Amino acid sequence: MEERFEELAALNAFGMLEGNEKRTLDGIAFHNRALKDLCADLEEAAAHLAGVVAPQVPPSAIKGRILQRIRSRRAGGSAAYSSGGSVFWTLTGWAAAAAFAASSAWLWVGRERIQTQLASVSSELAVVEKARESLREGFQKQIDALKVEIASLQKRDALAQVRIATLQSSVDTYKQGVAVVVWDSEKHQGVLKLEKMPPVEIGKDYQLWVVDPNQPAPVDAGIVRVDDAGFAKVEFKPVTDVTEVSRFALSVEKQGGVPKGEGPIVLIGP
Amino acid sequence: MSKDEPTDEELLQRVARGDSRAFDTLYDRLAPRLYGLLRQMLHDEKDAEDVLQDGFVQLWDHASSYDSSRAKAFTWAVMIFRNKAIDRMRALGRRTRLVEAASLEHATLGDKDVLPGADEDVQSRERADIVRAALRQLPEDQRKLVELAFLKGLTHHVIAETLGMPLGTVKTNIRRGLMRLRDLLKGGKDGGAL
Repeated sequence: MEERFEELAALNAFGMLEGNEKRTLDGIAFHNRALKDLCADLEEAAAHLAGVVAPQVPPSAIKGRILQRIRSRRAGGSAAYSSGGSVFWTLTGWAAAAAFAASSAWLWVGRERIQTQLASVSSELAVVEKARESLREGFQKQIDALKVEIASLQKRDALAQVRIATLQSSVDTYKQGVAVVVWDSEKHQGVLKLEKMPPVEIGKDYQLWVVDPNQPAPVDAGIVRVDDAGFAKVEFKPVTDVTEVSRFALSVEKQGGVPKGEGPIVLIGP
Repeated sequence: MSKDEPTDEELLQRVARGDSRAFDTLYDRLAPRLYGLLRQMLHDEKDAEDVLQDGFVQLWDHASSYDSSRAKAFTWAVMIFRNKAIDRMRALGRRTRLVEAASLEHATLGDKDVLPGADEDVQSRERADIVRAALRQLPEDQRKLVELAFLKGLTHHVIAETLGMPLGTVKTNIRRGLMRLRDLLKGGKDGGAL
């Protein structure tokens, strides 16, 4: 595992991370099981340090105050509080049973009245439903006509098919990097331009991904190699057809690329 | 704790089911160690009492999320209470005050010979001895930063600034120290397993 991830996990175990650093760690750990386990491991190791602090008996009144707060939260729907045998809770149980019996009787008396009302309401509902169905059909016709018009306008304007997105990073090392994607949604291909990107380690490559909300995983759009100045301009086409593009992402992967993302995402957008 | 008494983990699982007697017992077992920790972190009796109360209410509310296969009950509780203490420090702007050199100098765990409390059981004392021994095996600069990070809830930026150390050195020592401590506590080289 990369040292900088271990570093973030260690600082996190002590609650030292704030803002971007915390968000970065959480984001990476969400997809990286090994990092998630390391975080849990180090949190536990840090917690063990509490064992060497000298114990001190807290003032006796505190316990009463805590129990009082828990009881009062019970009314607010928190976890049930049962002391198992106290007179107070026994009486409360009987009171609840009595209230339940009274409610049942009241419900029985009201049942006939409610059934009559229900029949009347059902008949009114049928009339309303018929009117609603008629309105719905009218609206659907209008929507269909508008869709046809929009499709026609989109076809006329080629620019409507072009989307421009900028990719950004919350990781310090890549913050200087500039990445712009121009995506043609009709031809399903695009151009990626990178500037000021740091070089990747030996044996690694940058790899571009297209996120299609209709597909279970990001779609491979090919590897990208930057020159010594961190510059690259490449045309790309995802390996499988995408119907809709929500995001583009750039990750660091094994040299030559991988079919499914494994490495850390360093740039993402829009 | 005798063999017949429930473990902290069993008690916490009963608390998750709303058993107030189990909560009562668990409070008696954990409160002294947690209160001692809060007093040392917050340096204020009233703050420590407030955080102790809030922490136990949270423990009651979230006991059902406890997973005994991932952590000991005490470890899980420490994470709750320590995070609450850090929140309190941040809310009070205590971080600024705590950077005073005197405060930092007293942020030590391992060198002190901590006397066990009257209520402290043998198991707790043994655990404390193992942790203390592991701390002593860390290089001085790593140990100091680990203790500082644990007790003071300061960010690495503040620690670096206060101690006049490069930020990278602070981060590296904390990483190495904590990872070594983890290995030692798991029974790594010359360490006793917890």
